[in-house]
Amino acid sequence: MNKFNLTQFVVMLTLFIGLILLPHYLRYQHQDFMIFLIINVLVVVSYRLMTLTGEWSLIHIVMMGVGAYTSALMSKHMGVSVWLTIPLAGLSAAVLAGLLSTPLFRMTQFYFLIGSFAVGEAIRLAWIFFIKPFGGSSGISSVPSPELLGIDFMDPIPYYYLVLIVVSLCLWVLYRIEKSRIGLTLNAVHWKAPLAQSVGVNTWKYRTLAFMVASLFVGIAGALKIHYLGNVTPHQFGVGSMVFVLIWVIVGGYNTFYGPIIGAVVLSVLDESLRNLNEYRPAIYGVLLIISIMFMPKGLEHISQGLKDWIKTAKSSS
Amino acid sequence: MLYGHATFHTSPYSLSGLNEATQHEELAVDLFLQSIVNSLIQGGFFALWAVGMVLVFGIMGVVNFAHGELVMVGAYAIWVLKAQMGMGYIPAVFIAVILVMLIGIFMERFLFRPKREDPLGGLINSIGILFILQVVALLVGGTGPAKQVTPAFPGTLILDEFMRIPHQRLFSLGVSIAALLILWFFLTRTKLGWSMRAVALDREAAALQGININRTSLIAMAISAGLAGLAGALMAPISNIYPHMGHNVIITAFIVTIVGGLGSLSGAVLAAFLYAILHTFVTAYFSGTIASMVGLLLMVVVLIVKPTGIMGQRVSE
Amino acid sequence: MALLEINNVSKHFGGLAALDEVSFSALEGEIHGLIGPNGAGKSTMFKNISGFYSPTTGTIRFNGQDIQGLSPSSIAKLGIVRTFQETTLFQELTVFENVLVGCHLEAEVNLLDALFGLNKKVQQKANVHALKVLDFMGLTERKDQLAIELPLGSQRALAIAIALAAKPKLILMDEPFAGMNPEETRQMMDLTRKVNETGVTIVLVEHDMKAVMGLCENITVLNFGTLLAQGKPDEIRQNDKVINAYLGGGH
Ligand SMILES: Nc1ncnc2c1ncn2[C@@H]1O[C@H](COP(=O)(O)OP(=O)(O)O)[C@@H](O)[C@H]1O
Ligand SMILES: [Mg+2]
Repeated sequence: MNKFNLTQFVVMLTLFIGLILLPHYLRYQHQDFMIFLIINVLVVVSYRLMTLTGEWSLIHIVMMGVGAYTSALMSKHMGVSVWLTIPLAGLSAAVLAGLLSTPLFRMTQFYFLIGSFAVGEAIRLAWIFFIKPFGGSSGISSVPSPELLGIDFMDPIPYYYLVLIVVSLCLWVLYRIEKSRIGLTLNAVHWKAPLAQSVGVNTWKYRTLAFMVASLFVGIAGALKIHYLGNVTPHQFGVGSMVFVLIWVIVGGYNTFYGPIIGAVVLSVLDESLRNLNEYRPAIYGVLLIISIMFMPKGLEHISQGLKDWIKTAKSSS
Repeated sequence: MLYGHATFHTSPYSLSGLNEATQHEELAVDLFLQSIVNSLIQGGFFALWAVGMVLVFGIMGVVNFAHGELVMVGAYAIWVLKAQMGMGYIPAVFIAVILVMLIGIFMERFLFRPKREDPLGGLINSIGILFILQVVALLVGGTGPAKQVTPAFPGTLILDEFMRIPHQRLFSLGVSIAALLILWFFLTRTKLGWSMRAVALDREAAALQGININRTSLIAMAISAGLAGLAGALMAPISNIYPHMGHNVIITAFIVTIVGGLGSLSGAVLAAFLYAILHTFVTAYFSGTIASMVGLLLMVVVLIVKPTGIMGQRVSE
Repeated sequence: MALLEINNVSKHFGGLAALDEVSFSALEGEIHGLIGPNGAGKSTMFKNISGFYSPTTGTIRFNGQDIQGLSPSSIAKLGIVRTFQETTLFQELTVFENVLVGCHLEAEVNLLDALFGLNKKVQQKANVHALKVLDFMGLTERKDQLAIELPLGSQRALAIAIALAAKPKLILMDEPFAGMNPEETRQMMDLTRKVNETGVTIVLVEHDMKAVMGLCENITVLNFGTLLAQGKPDEIRQNDKVINAYLGGGH
């Protein structure tokens, strides 16, 4: 048991050192790519917390937008420091999630999927319709970027480290939640809600908790994204982006903490390397999605799980 | 010819691009009467879209997210056959319907049937197909501005000075209603139709009674796709044709099927016309964005208050 | 003293009265039988008591407090826990984790506790309690197995263990003997008695008459949603209406 944890530790450490060194060896365009990739990792991992309760929502990306708009409006129009608006972005998404949970969690399963989509789309239409604060279809531009001790975070390398630190912290928190009793209870709510209820679990409360925490972190991810991009538009948070999150999670696998991360990383790298296919890229995604559902319904994580078992048996037999 | 087709442009978020086009076209005309007529025409399209979704959901238990793309393929087929190859409209419509049916049959056989016990899997597969069809449309039509097809039936029926209906739209409405009537006749008066309804009610019981589930599913998907293809073919001469046009279709179809009661065909048809009226009027008097928002929120309210929809009656625990 | 009092409870589904003005009570510390042919309304009664349904009319009192209309989790907090007709477990979790979920009320943690590993004492207490329950139900050896891998008898024992972990005053058991062979039935009867001897009141829905007659001190009989008879096992055995319902109403 101890020995295994050691390998895990070594792997994590190498990964982290690699991530710290990486940007210095990358071209500008790939530095950008890494920043968005790390943000997307936070998006999928926070989404997975939601799926632990068994509910698949289609509002996650809109919650990312809620964080993004909050942070953009506060930093640009109210002059609040970006260091403050990033956590506030998460908070506002969490609060909105809390408010929405009353109507949304009267639905479950397919109805919840559709209901969450409808509510999210209505929010997105509100950004388009209310030009006054939200800027309509073209959104908000010239969103300020953070600044600290003379370091300009407009540059990709400092921003990369900012994102790396914030996302690592968030992942740690999400991991702790999943491995705690709360994670166990969320699982229980998923597999047998009535049984959980009968021993005193307030399923509504736990679904709400998962929704709020997931929104909190995806709201932070949204803020991180737009302070680097410099603009927010309603189209960044459309159902198309949501579908990509679903694809990452499903292709990666959603039974382990790292499954969605594998999905996001592998598919993003693939996507990046197919860049010159331009608008034909979605077809590749479509084919991959079908292949993974038909032949690999447990996701990429299953392959890595198999690899791990294989190493274990190889070790014990030697 | 008073009303050329070239003025039909869609706002980024109009659900079908039909009513706003008319709105620009006939600014002087009394908005109220015209909106009623538009609602009817749009309701016919909504019903065609939604009925196919309901059929597939009811009989196969699959939520087909690519349903809008099937409509899109139908419209593209008309563009290729009529606008590019110069074929007549009516034969082009037939070919479009058959083509989309074949795609539907393929989807049932190879994507939905293997995932019958796994509704999420079927749904994901449909998203996969959705991407592929959109790219196929891009390959066929290229990027660039939306495609348009000249109406096959030019001219306008002028009922009085306040009500003018382009013949093409009249034709669409007539064909939509005829298709719905034929479907209704098929489902209620034929043996095959009865067995399909039995499967929708209780798949296991139907299987025990010797109904061939594979065959019913295949037929349901073929009909659903055929109706989608027909809708696309009818829309082609009166709206913009572009790879993402299915987006509006699927959202509307969801609103209509949920409000009508998932699994209820008559509910879907009723909801289609009611929602078309609501959408047309809100668009006419406020804006297309507000109309879509109202539709989405209406759906949420129905989901909360009566998840079985306005016509649903099945008791669920 | 009556721990649970059902007063004129009715439950309608559309036009169907699944329960029609039923009254009975279960005394503190007893094993109370609730029997009747299929469709009599037994499970519906359990769902009303445990908060999954709220009665159309009538009141349910527990420990002197009206509980009808409360949510399942609040009712569990008051001390009523049910088991389910079909064996219902967290199949994807281990036996130990199953029982830990049952300790929810004991050891609920908030987010901050979860993050910083505070509240260690409470967690420790929950773990100890879970192990004790497992031991009590004879499941200690199986504690790291997945619930789905257990044989039928152990699955039923685990279902009761989960309920017991919540430290209930009253357990509602829905057909815990269904599908068991005589040996398994005998073991299950012993377990049920053992649970009852710790002071937990039990209301038992069961078709296995040997088990019911052997375990229960008082029995309530339902038929078509109405109260048919009430009494000691011997009285019920000889009651003509009950005999007719079971022989005549062969659904
Ligand atoms: N959710 C429901 N909707 C409609 N009818 C129900 C529902 N639940 C139970 N019933 C009906 O109530 C009656 C009693 O069922 P139940 O309580 O399960 O009986 P038992 O457990 O005694 O076999 C049956 O006729 C059943 O069909
Ligand atoms: Mg029962």
